Amino acid sequence: MVAVLPPAIPPAIVQALPEAAPSSNILSTDLTQNRIEVSSSFQGAKVVVYGAVVESRDQPSDVVVVVSGPKASMRLIRKVQVAGLWLNSRPVVFEGAPGFYMAASSQPLDRITGFSNRRRLGLGVDYIAMDTPRDTKVVTRYGVRDVVVNSLEDDYLEWRQAVTRLKQKSSLYSDNPFGVRFVDRNLFRAEIDLPSDAPIGTYKAEVWLFRDGEPVSYSAKLLRVEKVGFERFIYDTAHRRPWMYGIVSALICIGLGLGASRIFQRR
Amino acid sequence: MDIYLPIAEMSVNVLTMVGLGVLVGFVSGLFGVGGGFLMAPVLVSLGIPPSVAVASQAGHVLATSTSSVMSYSQSDSVDYRMGAVMAAGGVVGAIIGVEIFRILRLLGQIDLVVSVAYLLVLGSIGGMMLNESLSAMLRRRKGESPPRPKVKRPVWIYGLPFKMRFPRSGLYISFIPPAAIGLLVGILSAMMGVGGGFLIVPAMIYILRMKASVVVGTSLFQIIITTLVTMILQAVRNHSVDMILALILLAGGVVGGQAGIRMASRFRADELRAIMAVIILMAGLQMGLSLFVPPQDPFVLVPTGQQ
Repeated sequence: MVAVLPPAIPPAIVQALPEAAPSSNILSTDLTQNRIEVSSSFQGAKVVVYGAVVESRDQPSDVVVVVSGPKASMRLIRKVQVAGLWLNSRPVVFEGAPGFYMAASSQPLDRITGFSNRRRLGLGVDYIAMDTPRDTKVVTRYGVRDVVVNSLEDDYLEWRQAVTRLKQKSSLYSDNPFGVRFVDRNLFRAEIDLPSDAPIGTYKAEVWLFRDGEPVSYSAKLLRVEKVGFERFIYDTAHRRPWMYGIVSALICIGLGLGASRIFQRR
Repeated sequence: MDIYLPIAEMSVNVLTMVGLGVLVGFVSGLFGVGGGFLMAPVLVSLGIPPSVAVASQAGHVLATSTSSVMSYSQSDSVDYRMGAVMAAGGVVGAIIGVEIFRILRLLGQIDLVVSVAYLLVLGSIGGMMLNESLSAMLRRRKGESPPRPKVKRPVWIYGLPFKMRFPRSGLYISFIPPAAIGLLVGILSAMMGVGGGFLIVPAMIYILRMKASVVVGTSLFQIIITTLVTMILQAVRNHSVDMILALILLAGGVVGGQAGIRMASRFRADELRAIMAVIILMAGLQMGLSLFVPPQDPFVLVPTGQQ
């Protein structure tokens, strides 16, 4: 039921590790929960990532925790003023951006490591990996012709920043520069706050250990956010048997309307 | 008290939603309209995705209209035949409207079209109704007798073939005009997420010139059928009907609806129309003015099309 990623080192990091061999895994982590149940009383959840640096050296080390939610495509429009009216531009589709993102670290990321590591490993809201092609592509999507996937060219950065800004506003993306706390000498913890509108799906909690600005160890755990009980039943029915769901829903509404008028008339 | 909505994927306050249901239900019972034109903007402003708001409030409209139409049908004021003809047009319109809605949403232009539609449709209908009802009230004040109702309908309506008898409405006309009105309203209502009562009622009064006593009941009957089809289509096509949200809204809605019907008998018809005209005008202006207000953030994330 609980899927745990092997403590392997992702390809991006392998060549980044200096002399240390991948086998020398000195990071041990876990989550307080690896499954979050979304029921009708769900109002967000708090999960703690905790871990220990096994190899005790007196060398200072930095920990970065990145939690990213299920990937989804997003559509962004820009309001443009035309003749006094605020109109929408064509939507731009950003693919592969996570539905939730949190980067917590023991100190601000730019003090931990350089630009290239942050960018390659996707550390920090500004470096979230989004598979958005930089070249112009006009495609047919969902049966709609001429959807611009990306023709942003110079404006690319501005649009990208808009995505993260809007997501940060709804607290789905966040940077927490002091979110990782060392509670004991080698024991650290970081809190993940999931808002109630956090997307459903599989989340990945990744932990990096940095020494002297280089990643030396890596660990990842999965976190499932699932609908349970009645919520799940409704969601599944709505997607798997849409005809039945629609017809039954409509009949229930009519039935309740009829019932109500009966009750009120008897009075 | 908060509850998580499985389709909207967010939690909402139950009391707020029930309150909204009561309020909109009251308005719809009072004026014999579905009330969707009031509810959709409020739901969206509370953060519910527009597609979910539009599809789920159909359940509320369905329940309140059913409970209202039962009260009307017992006083013999529903012309089922006229309602069926209009609903036939309305169903076809709803199918077209749901498709247009889907395409515009994917192009990111749906809120523009919805705002313009609200501004034009609600603005012009509200203005016409307000003008008409205010002048009727003025005449009553001065003690003048009401002007003789213009029995003349537009002449072309008589020229159309396929005439049918609608005894309860006191009409003998072609079925094309009512079906065409139904079609037009069906398209608009699926796109604007409304039942369309505020369009149907004036059309019945001013274009078809049906007997006033059957107008409200018949419009509710046709709204039920069109909304039924819209709701099922939205569930199948967009998976956007949130049953929990619909149930919360309609729980308040049926109570408010019955209260509204009781209240309706205390007002004169022209006063009711004047109040409704003001509400319609305000809803239209509020949506339409959003086109002129500079946005806080020039960028907006829009919901993705469901794959």
